[in-house]
Amino acid sequence: MQRTVEHASSAFPTLLDSDAVATQSGSSKIATIRETVGTPFVDNPRMTCRGVEVYYGEKRAINNLSIDIANNEVLAMIGPSGCGKSTFLRCLNRMNDTIASCTVKGNIQLDGTDIYHPSVDVVPLRAKVGMVFQKPNPFPKSIYDNVAYGPKIHGLTSTKIELDEIIETSLMKAGLWDEVKDRLQDPGTGLSGGQQQRLCIARAIAVSPEVILMDEPCSALDPIATAKIEELIAELRTQFSIVIVTHAMQQAARVSQRTAYFHLGDLIEVGATEKVFTNPLHQLTEDYITGRFG
Amino acid sequence: MNIQTIAAAGVLSLLLCGPALAARDYISIVGSSTVYPFATVVAEQFGKTTGSKTPKIESTGSGGGFKLFCSGVGVSYPDITNASRAIKKSEMLKCQANGVKDIIEVKIGYDGIVLANSKSAPLLKLSRKDIFLALAKEVPDPKNPGKLIANPYITWKDVNNSLPATTIEVLGPPPTSGTRDAFVELAMEGGAKKFKFIKAMKKSDKKAYKKLCHTIREDGAYIEAGENDNLIVQKLQANPAAVGIFGFSFLDQNSDVIQGSFIEDTAPTFEAIAEGAYPISRPLYFYVKKAHVDVIPGMKGYLAEFTSDKAWGEEGYLADKGMIPMPVAERKQFQDDVVTLKALDMK
Amino acid sequence: MKNPLEPTPQVCKRYRTEKAFKRLGLSAIVMSLCFVFFLFYTIIADGYSAFTQTYIQIEVSFDETFFRGANISNANFPALVKRSMGKIFPGVTGRKDTKMLSSIVSPAAAYTLQNLVETNPKLIGTTKFIWVLADDDVDMFFKGKTVTNVAESNRRLKDKQLTWLDQLVSEGKLERRFNKTFFTSGDSREPELAGILGAATGSLLTLFITLSLSFPIGVATAVYLEEFAPANHWTDIIEVNINNLAAVPSIIFGLLGLAIFINFWGLPRSTPIVGGLVLTLMTLPTIIIASRASLKSVPPSIREAALGIGASKLQTITHHVLPLALPGMLTGTIIGMAQALGETAPLLMIGMVAFIADVPGTFTDPSAVLPVQIYLWADSPERAFSEKTSAAIMILLAFLIAMNSIAVFLRKRFETKW
Repeated sequence: MQRTVEHASSAFPTLLDSDAVATQSGSSKIATIRETVGTPFVDNPRMTCRGVEVYYGEKRAINNLSIDIANNEVLAMIGPSGCGKSTFLRCLNRMNDTIASCTVKGNIQLDGTDIYHPSVDVVPLRAKVGMVFQKPNPFPKSIYDNVAYGPKIHGLTSTKIELDEIIETSLMKAGLWDEVKDRLQDPGTGLSGGQQQRLCIARAIAVSPEVILMDEPCSALDPIATAKIEELIAELRTQFSIVIVTHAMQQAARVSQRTAYFHLGDLIEVGATEKVFTNPLHQLTEDYITGRFG
Repeated sequence: MNIQTIAAAGVLSLLLCGPALAARDYISIVGSSTVYPFATVVAEQFGKTTGSKTPKIESTGSGGGFKLFCSGVGVSYPDITNASRAIKKSEMLKCQANGVKDIIEVKIGYDGIVLANSKSAPLLKLSRKDIFLALAKEVPDPKNPGKLIANPYITWKDVNNSLPATTIEVLGPPPTSGTRDAFVELAMEGGAKKFKFIKAMKKSDKKAYKKLCHTIREDGAYIEAGENDNLIVQKLQANPAAVGIFGFSFLDQNSDVIQGSFIEDTAPTFEAIAEGAYPISRPLYFYVKKAHVDVIPGMKGYLAEFTSDKAWGEEGYLADKGMIPMPVAERKQFQDDVVTLKALDMK
Repeated sequence: MKNPLEPTPQVCKRYRTEKAFKRLGLSAIVMSLCFVFFLFYTIIADGYSAFTQTYIQIEVSFDETFFRGANISNANFPALVKRSMGKIFPGVTGRKDTKMLSSIVSPAAAYTLQNLVETNPKLIGTTKFIWVLADDDVDMFFKGKTVTNVAESNRRLKDKQLTWLDQLVSEGKLERRFNKTFFTSGDSREPELAGILGAATGSLLTLFITLSLSFPIGVATAVYLEEFAPANHWTDIIEVNINNLAAVPSIIFGLLGLAIFINFWGLPRSTPIVGGLVLTLMTLPTIIIASRASLKSVPPSIREAALGIGASKLQTITHHVLPLALPGMLTGTIIGMAQALGETAPLLMIGMVAFIADVPGTFTDPSAVLPVQIYLWADSPERAFSEKTSAAIMILLAFLIAMNSIAVFLRKRFETKW
């Protein structure tokens, strides 16, 4: 445990120092800041987060959080409602920028680039870090246009043939191609809930991201549609890093390689999924997964 | 943001080309709503027969007309203003201050103000004194001559024994109207003067005299019916007890449903007003900016049309519309004034 | 045995309240429908007759003696009409009688002949049967809008004129026809010549200016305030002001227009361009408020979807938010336009309440608008103008209904479900 903090401070000495001051002065309301147990850091990470703190106005939503996201892994984030897991997820592609009162401190890097650096533009960032939302939200346009929108605005293709190809492969990867190939011009909003969510996944992968963020992608779906999405996540792992927020612990256990447990703005424990679910290090994690609260 | 820029550019270009658009090839006339129905006929006749553009006539009221007319010289100001009264001293001063030095006054004829009621009610034979007693806010106390009391009269019979016992209910124009000004001056003041002590007040206390003569009662007997005289005519038909006050042309057009009350034993007929026998009539005017006569196309033609016998003569089309023509000599005089462009003495 | 599912007294009371409320709502609707029907009935009953007009056939001999002068238009056309009337009634002599006789045809008859000869000078020397407009008093008589059972002196039409008219009817020389003039000419002081085209054109020109300025400015303002404006005091002040302006009496905008557009910019009075600008000021708050409401109603999930895939803010707005908000914006705009169409008060201040006989052709010609025309006709002494007034109201209502139908159509057409 002591080791992890040293690891962090050796990597980002100045940042952590200044943050430590901020934490001391700003955290008087929160009794304790719990340190993360387990293995938050990996070798050769895709994304690294160090000392991340998120504020909504004066209120702090996430306390001094550090974690890595590995290549080709599914990282599940679990925890009771309001624990900050969705807030943290939205820091990873700067969706929190749209909320005026929200400020993010700390350091988040994608492939070694600080994504909150003033020179970083959110447009290419969001192309690299795609997002799938809780409620399926296809555009009120045709299936084709839904998937084509990303490649079009990012200028990924110059010809219609290339575009058609991207759409086909994206829909195939999302496991939707066979169901919709004959009706690409039908409105995306006319599909069933599960199909809509897979369309949203297809839309996200059409711009070839590196990381896909999923914010409770199955909470609005029935068990069969959920199973399909879970299968899909397992397949997508071979190409992308996936961070998934979920309320269903079974789902986390089924789809993820690593699991992170959040509690009231603290990252309590990170570890291999199997280990977290069978032998949690922290008392809070154990209480949660055994159903004592949550 | 782009859209805003385009919109801003549009507004700016309007701003720039604004003054360039201002050259005018039609006559602009403003003024009295009483003269409006007559001036418009002349304008239309002028436009239709000469092929010039028809003058534009705004109905702004006499006061509003002078205000616009006296604002300055130039194409953005009106050329002519119509008025149902003569220009006031203060208006002349305003004209002068704004550079409108020479104006030509043209009297065009007379308009009678009539009191009328429905055909289904008895014909009223009124005197100006009756009108004053029926409508003034304060009237002389019949028991104590020389003292004023709040108007106590409820029916016409209370005012004058020979009149019917119907409630006094008069629909008339609001204070903003020129017809109202003329009515209080000619009918009310004319009636008030019949009382010796009131007449004496004119010399001793002019302000109080004016106030007494010109203040109409506010207890519901006089109902301000708005500027729309057609509405008054319709209300009279619906309510035979009511009496309306409006211009002669409305009686002329509706003589099948309403009847004009006799004033001082004279019926409001075309002939009686023209002869001057009917006591409540007023002159109508228009005023021309001399500086504009040679600048705005058609000015001379319009003036000639208005002052021609086929327009304002006894058999002219304005008489058909209900305007009462002037005697021949008076017409001749104003016709000459127009030809010679004789400016009004502004002193 | 008591049925356990039988409604309890409380449930019965609930149903009674519900029924009473339903009845209340229904009666409110029935009452307003009655008012609407009454309004429509009175207007149509009074105004439908304005769409026909009485015509009289006269035989005109275009004698060369009449056209001696070089200029055809200087010929004495009224005398030509008078002579033609004399030809139908040879027995009428005397100055007074001939005047009465010629007054049963409209003064417009002379213009009709003048136009005929000017367009076709070959008519000179020939004799033709020509239908001319009857005087408005004759027209009113045949439409049953005058009272005839009063003493002769109190009638506009005298006994002699009535016998002449009887003769014309029996000879088939008097007819009621469709009133084309009403749709093809501008204002006139002769009711039989007065038409709605001038005012309708004025309204169209004015509304064109209003629409082309207020829609882009209104939408741009709404988008800025809703999507870009920082949340600070200035934004709050602007927002409060816009909401206030929507409730300001429209005459205030007329005063503002007079001060800025006419006195300061020097734009010509009484023109569609000034009218359009003034009505733009008046409709902007309505459009901004409606546009903001419809921007607000676009679900945030659509914005998130677009932002999440890497669309910029402007792309999100123009590609996704605006198309979804457009139906609501259009509805707001058309409501604003309908408001502007019916407005007279602000136009009074900028001189559009005026007698304008010529049909306007450009944005800088003096012109009136439909409601102003209604106001002016309603105030004219001639009785025939009352049916014209109602007819003009019908035209205005038709315009309004058409605009609202377009609004409904556009909403249906562009509406997207999500």
